[in-house]
Amino acid sequence: MTDGLDIFVETVITGNLVLIQGLGLYALTRYTKTVRGAVKAGLNTVAGMLVGASILWLLGDIVPTSPTSQIGFYVLVGFVSALIAPRLTGQNTSPEYHVVDTALIGLLLLMAVRGVAGAQNVWVALGVSFGYFVVLVVMASIRERLALAPVPKALQGTPIVLITAGLLGLALLGFRF
Amino acid sequence: MSIFWEGVFKKNPVLVLAMGLVPAVAITTTGLDGLVLGISITFVLLASCVINFVVIPLMPSSSRLALRALILIILVVALYGFILHTRPGLVAGLGIFFPFMVADAFRLQSSEDTRPFGRIVLEALGQGLGFIWALVLIGVIREFLGFGSIFGKEMVSGVLRPMSLAKGVPGGMIIVGLLLALTNVVTKQGGETP
Repeated sequence: MTDGLDIFVETVITGNLVLIQGLGLYALTRYTKTVRGAVKAGLNTVAGMLVGASILWLLGDIVPTSPTSQIGFYVLVGFVSALIAPRLTGQNTSPEYHVVDTALIGLLLLMAVRGVAGAQNVWVALGVSFGYFVVLVVMASIRERLALAPVPKALQGTPIVLITAGLLGLALLGFRF
Repeated sequence: MSIFWEGVFKKNPVLVLAMGLVPAVAITTTGLDGLVLGISITFVLLASCVINFVVIPLMPSSSRLALRALILIILVVALYGFILHTRPGLVAGLGIFFPFMVADAFRLQSSEDTRPFGRIVLEALGQGLGFIWALVLIGVIREFLGFGSIFGKEMVSGVLRPMSLAKGVPGGMIIVGLLLALTNVVTKQGGETP
């Protein structure tokens, strides 16, 4: 029980994939203009993460041991899951988006580095994807409010999203101490 | 040549198109990281555009997306293996997120490119140079603020205490966000797109 809670707290708060690890920034800056868009993009990536984690669980015994082949293997699993994910969610979005999402490949690489194995892959993926989804929705809500604020033209769009995400990340860092 | 300079400045992949945000924020904490990553991305962009130009037209359109991705994965893994064997210390600095350049290279390439070969190569070279100078700039700023040094050489020892915030991802986001805003001011661009 404690293990499950530790995994949840680490993946959602103190090791949040977007705000602490800096992954998935493409989706964070492109797909958070509206809460609806964020939910759509978030669900796709969550599906990809769960598919990727399940593949790793199933193929756990054949993961290559050399670092170079291992990196190739995890990136390949990431791409395959990214191609399967939209078929699961039934969303008609550009295939390029799913293929290039760094959050998905990043999660798989992080699991490799931390030696996550077996069914734990899926539990970690559940926590990470929940944290990722929450960040997208929270950022979309903030952006909807920011749209009504007098933000200088140069800061509008990606700059203000990054600065806001940086401040949110700092807040989460506070839970590490 | 205009397409070359567009990639370097006007359509810089990092500071204008905001494409290489993960390498800029999560990986580039020093000037050397930025330089290695920039050169690596340039190599991958150039090599993949040459291979794509030869191989992709021979393939059925339904398999081109997967094939482009596969070519990039093979190139990045080969490059990773090469650096790991020749300069293991560099890979240790860049961490496990080195393969993310696959995603950036993939985004920058257009899926159905029918332009002349020279134009495609010039564009890839310009984008690569754009990556190099932008990532080095970000790396130098973060290294100076976070470690008090530039390319490993101590600059403010005993004068100012380095800000550890600049080394971390949240600090990186704030610094890159401010640089993007500065670029908007210089290029007179910016504003929320619908």
